[in-house]
Amino acid sequence: MSQASSQNPAIDAARRAEIDRSLRHPVMFFFTSGAAWLAVAILLGIVSSAKVHSPGFLDGCSWLTYGRVQPAHMNALIYGWGCQAAFGMLIWLMARLSRQECRAAGIILTAGHVWNLAIGLGTIGILAGKGTGVPWMEFPVFAWVPMLLAYAAIAVWSMVQFKVRPAGHVFVSQWYVLGALIWFPWVFATAHLLIHGFSGSPLMANAINAWFRSGLLFLFFTPAAIAAAYYLVPKITGRPVYSYTLSLLGFWSLAVVAPWAGMQKLAGAPIPAFLPYLGAAATIFIAVPAIAASVNLLKTAAGAWETVVNSPSLRFTVAGVVGLLVLGLACTLLNVPSFLPLSQFSLSGYGFDILALYGFFSFVAFGMIYFVVPRLTRREWLFGGLIKLHFFLSIYGVVTVALVALFGGLMQGGAQEDYKQPWENAMTYAYPYAVAATIAWCFLLVSNLFFFLHLGLMWLRLGRRSSHPTLLGDGHHGDLHDGTHGPEGDIDNAGPGSAHAH
Amino acid sequence: MSDPSKPDLEESVNVTEAHERVLREAAAAARENRLSENGREPVSLWVLVLCAIPVLAAGWALGNAGRLFSYKDTVKDGYVRIIPADDDAAGPPPKEALAAYMAKGQKIYGKCIGCHGPDGKGDGNAYPSLAGSAWVNGESERLAMVILNGLNGPTSTGKVFGVMPAQGAGMSGDDLATLMTYIRNSFGNKVGDVVTKQMGAAALEISNARPKVGTAVNADELNADHLKNLAGDSLDPKVMLDPITLEPAEAK
Repeated sequence: MSQASSQNPAIDAARRAEIDRSLRHPVMFFFTSGAAWLAVAILLGIVSSAKVHSPGFLDGCSWLTYGRVQPAHMNALIYGWGCQAAFGMLIWLMARLSRQECRAAGIILTAGHVWNLAIGLGTIGILAGKGTGVPWMEFPVFAWVPMLLAYAAIAVWSMVQFKVRPAGHVFVSQWYVLGALIWFPWVFATAHLLIHGFSGSPLMANAINAWFRSGLLFLFFTPAAIAAAYYLVPKITGRPVYSYTLSLLGFWSLAVVAPWAGMQKLAGAPIPAFLPYLGAAATIFIAVPAIAASVNLLKTAAGAWETVVNSPSLRFTVAGVVGLLVLGLACTLLNVPSFLPLSQFSLSGYGFDILALYGFFSFVAFGMIYFVVPRLTRREWLFGGLIKLHFFLSIYGVVTVALVALFGGLMQGGAQEDYKQPWENAMTYAYPYAVAATIAWCFLLVSNLFFFLHLGLMWLRLGRRSSHPTLLGDGHHGDLHDGTHGPEGDIDNAGPGSAHAH
Repeated sequence: MSDPSKPDLEESVNVTEAHERVLREAAAAARENRLSENGREPVSLWVLVLCAIPVLAAGWALGNAGRLFSYKDTVKDGYVRIIPADDDAAGPPPKEALAAYMAKGQKIYGKCIGCHGPDGKGDGNAYPSLAGSAWVNGESERLAMVILNGLNGPTSTGKVFGVMPAQGAGMSGDDLATLMTYIRNSFGNKVGDVVTKQMGAAALEISNARPKVGTAVNADELNADHLKNLAGDSLDPKVMLDPITLEPAEAK
C-alpha cells in the first residue's frame, strides 16, 4: 500500500474513503449479522453449559436437549459469528491493501444473505433433531453446498483485487488474507466431501472431522485474525512492524505445519498409530507461529502504550494478540504426550476451542469492527463507556471460560484416568468448573448484547457526526487529541480537509 | 497545480474542493496513519529460546509416534493399560517365577547386607563371601540350616570367619524361600532354580526337628544330616506368578 500510494495525503485519504464507500453494505452486513449470531450463539452456550451441571434445566423441551443445543451453539458461533466476521475483515483488508474498490458489492451482499439463510436453516435443523452428529459439521447435509458456493461468491473478488493490485510491496496482512481465503475452501470442501459426499469408513470420517476442526481454527480463523492484527497494530500506532524476519517465520511455519494438526483427538483409536502423534506434534509446533506473530505484534505495540489503552480497536486487538500467545502455550500444554490422555475426553478440548475462537479470534475481530465501522458509516462510535463494558466483560468472561475449561478439563481428565473410582467421580471434579463456565457465559452475553446494540445503532447511521474518534481514556482531555483534530465539540466541519480554511 | 500534459484543463482546484468535501464526510479515513515499511529488527535470542520449547515438546510427541507413515500399525504398544479383572487385586502385572521370587528376596536380603555386603562378597576377613560359595550354590537344605540357625566354625572353604548369628527368628517359609532364591541367583551365582514356598516351609520343620535345636550348626552336622535338597515340587522358573502372592497368575 505504502509504495503504490500517491504522496498527497488528501488524495490518499479520498482513495481510502472511496474504497470504504464501495464496501459499505456487504461489510456492515457481515459485521452486524455476525454480532447478532454471536448473541444467539452465546445464549445457546449458556443453555448448554447449564445442562452440564444441572441436567434438569429446561429438560422438558426436546428442542433444548444438550445433544441439540451444544452443536447449535458451536455452529452458530463458528459459522454465524466467526465466519461472517472473518469475511467482513478479509474483504475489507484485501480491498484496502490492494487499493481496489469493490466492484461486486451487490453479489457479495447477496451471497452473504445466502450464507445466512443456509446457516439459519441449518441451526433450526440441528435444534429440530436433524443434525448430522459430526462435530462442527452438524448442519443437515443440505447446508454445506450453498455455504461453499456463497463463500466462493464472497471471496473470489478479493483474489481478483490481489491479482490486479498496484505493483510493489505485498504487506504481511495480505499473505495471511490470501492464505485464509485459499485454505478455507480447501479445508471445508475436503471435509464435507469426504464425510457427507462419499461413504467411506466411519472411523476415518472421525479422523477427517478432527482434522477439519483443527484446520478451521488454524488455517482460517488464525490467519484471518493475524492478518487483521498485522494491519491494525502498525496502522493505529503509526509504527513499523517490529521485525520482517519474525513475520516471515510466523507465516511460513503456520502454513507448513498447521495442515498436519488435528488427529491427536483420536489417540488410541484404531487408525494408523502415527497419525495422532503426528497431529499432536504439529499442534504443539503451532506455538512457534503463535509466538512469532504475537511477539512481533506486541513489540510493535509496546512503543505506543497510551494508544493501546485509548484506542478501542487497538485495545481489543492487543488483548487478542495476548490471546494468541496463550493459545500457543495451550497448544503445547494440552498435547504433550503426558497430558494428551487427559485432554482427550474432557472439558479441556472445548476450553481450547473457546480460547481460540473468542479469546483470540473474536477479540481481534472486535478490534477490526471498532476500526472499520466508523469508516464505513462515516459516523463515530456513540459511547466509550459501552466499549469499555464490552471489553472488560469479554475479558472476564473469556478468561474464566478458557481457564475453567482448560484446567477443570485436566482435573476431570485426571479423575477419569483413575479407573478404581466410579465414573461419577470425574463429573464431581468438573462440577464447580462447569458452574463457573455458565456464569462466565452470562458475562459474555451481557457484553455482546450491548455490543450488538451499539453496532446496530451505527448500522442505522445514528453514530456521532464528528471528526473525533471515540477514545477510551479517562474523559476527553485535550491531550488525547493530536493537533489535526481540533478541539472536542467541533462537529461536522473539522478534519484535515478543511484545516487550512480557518 | 496545473498539469503540463493538459494545458487547457484547469481541474486542480475542483479536485481539491471535492477532496475536502469527501474528507469532511470521511473523517475517520482521513485521519489514518499510513502503514509504515516493515521493521528490520533482528530476532532476539529469547524469542528463539521460547520457540525451542515447543519444538522440543513436538519432538517428544513425534517420538511417541512409532514408525511414521506405517499405515498397518493401528494399535500402539502399551497404550491400553492392563487392568486385572478382579478390582481388589488390582496389582502389578504377573512376572516370571524366578524374577518374582528374587524381587521379594532382595528385600529380605536387607537383613544380611550389614555383613555380607550389597554385592554379597563379605569382606574376606570377618564375613565370608556368598558369591561362588559351594554351600550357597549347593544343596538347598544345607544352606537353609545355615541361614535359620547360624554357623559356628569353618565355612565351605574351610576358613573360620567367626560366628554367624541365627536368622530364623520371625522368618517365614516364604521369606526363607525367596531369600534363598535371591542369593542363589545373584552376585554371579547362577543356580537358576526356584526354592519354592513349600521347600521353605519344609526347611523350617527340619530346623525345628534338629537334635540340637536352638544352637548354631557346624560343618560336621551339615555334612552329616543335611547334605540334600529340600523336599517339594520344583517350579519352572519361567512360569508366570502374581508378584505379591507368588501364586500362579492363572489361578485367579
